Amino acid sequence: MRCIATVSLIVAMPVTAGEVTRSVNAENGLQGWHFTDGDIEIELIQRLPDQTRALLMNHKFSRQVIEQMALSCMFQTIIRNTGQSTTNRVVSIDLTEWRLLHDGKPRKLLMKEALLESWTDADADPAAKLVVRWGMFPTQQEYLPGDYNWGLTAYGIQPGSGFDLDVAWRESGALRRGEIRGIVCAPDVDKLK
Amino acid sequence: MMRTLSTLPQLIMLTLLLCALPVVSQAEQTLTAIPGKVMAPDFNLPDTSGSMHSLSDYRGKVVIINFWTTWCPPCREELPSMNRAWHTIEKEGIAMLAINMGEDEDTIFIFSADYPTDFPVLMDQSGEVIEQWPVKGLPTTYVIAPDGRIAYRAIGSREWDDAGLLDKVRALQQ
Repeated sequence: MRCIATVSLIVAMPVTAGEVTRSVNAENGLQGWHFTDGDIEIELIQRLPDQTRALLMNHKFSRQVIEQMALSCMFQTIIRNTGQSTTNRVVSIDLTEWRLLHDGKPRKLLMKEALLESWTDADADPAAKLVVRWGMFPTQQEYLPGDYNWGLTAYGIQPGSGFDLDVAWRESGALRRGEIRGIVCAPDVDKLK
Repeated sequence: MMRTLSTLPQLIMLTLLLCALPVVSQAEQTLTAIPGKVMAPDFNLPDTSGSMHSLSDYRGKVVIINFWTTWCPPCREELPSMNRAWHTIEKEGIAMLAINMGEDEDTIFIFSADYPTDFPVLMDQSGEVIEQWPVKGLPTTYVIAPDGRIAYRAIGSREWDDAGLLDKVRALQQ
C-alpha cells in the first residue's frame, strides 16, 4: 500500500548502464531515484533538511553540527542484493568509490567516519554520535541474496542542487559501474512552496 | 514483438497494479549461513524491565538476536513478524532477543505502544555490545546455534514468521 501512495510518476532516465527510474512521492513531493543492474538495486530518496534537523535535535548535537548535516544534501539510501539464494552471488559496495559530478567537478560523498572524527564532544556527545554512526549508510558492506540495508548518504552540496552520481559495486568480486543522472537534492524549507 | 506502453496513464496504472501485489510475501526470505565456527560474543544487558540477560544463559538453545533502533524504518517493519514468530517458536524452546542500540527505556516504552513485542527487548545504550558483533547496519539479525556459534545472519528486515525461514532455525535444534 505504501508503494501505491508513494509512486505517482515514473519516468525513464538516460543511463550508461543499468536501468534508472525516477519517482515522486504523491503525498510529500519528495523524489526518488531507483537503479537496477545485475543483482544490485540502489534507491535514493530525497530527505528534507528539516527531517535531518528533527532527527538530530532529539539528541545532543550542537546547533552548528545540526545545520552542517541538515544542509549536506542527504538521501535515504537503500541497497539490496536482488539475486536468488541458488546463485549465491555476493554484492559488495564501497562508498568511497562513488563520485558525484556537480558543477562540472567530481567529488566524493561525505563519509561518516570523517564527520565523526571532526566533531568534538561539544559538537556531539557520545550517545548522539551513535545516531550518525548507525544512521548513516555503512561505508563498506557485503550483501548476500535477500540482504539489504537502509541508511543516509550525504553529498556535501547545497539543498536544491543537482548532480550526477557514478555508482560502483562488486558482484562476485568483479567491479561494475553505473550512472544515475539528474539527481536533485531536496530543497530547504525556505524554498518549499 | 512486445507492445510498448506509450502513454503515461497506462504506465501509472501498470505501476500501481504492480505495487499492489503482495511483494513481501512472495520474496524469498533468506538467511545467510555463516561458515566455520564463529562464536557469538557474550553480553550482559538489561531488558526494559530491568532484568539482566547474558547470551551465555541461553547456551543449549537456539537464539535469534536482532539489533535495532526505533528510528530505523526496516527495523520497525520486521518487528510485527518477529513477534508473531516468537509466539510460535517460544513453545518450541527457541529464544528471541531484540537488542536496542543507543536508546533509553522511555523511548522504547513509547515506541512499544505502536509496535508491541512480547519477547525481551534489551538495551545497549552505550553501543558497546553492538561494536563487538560484526554488525554494519540496522537491522541485522543473527541466529545462534545451541553450541554458541553464529549459524545464520540476515541484513535488513525479513518476514520472520515465514515457514521456510523458521524451518531453517528449527533445524539447528537437531
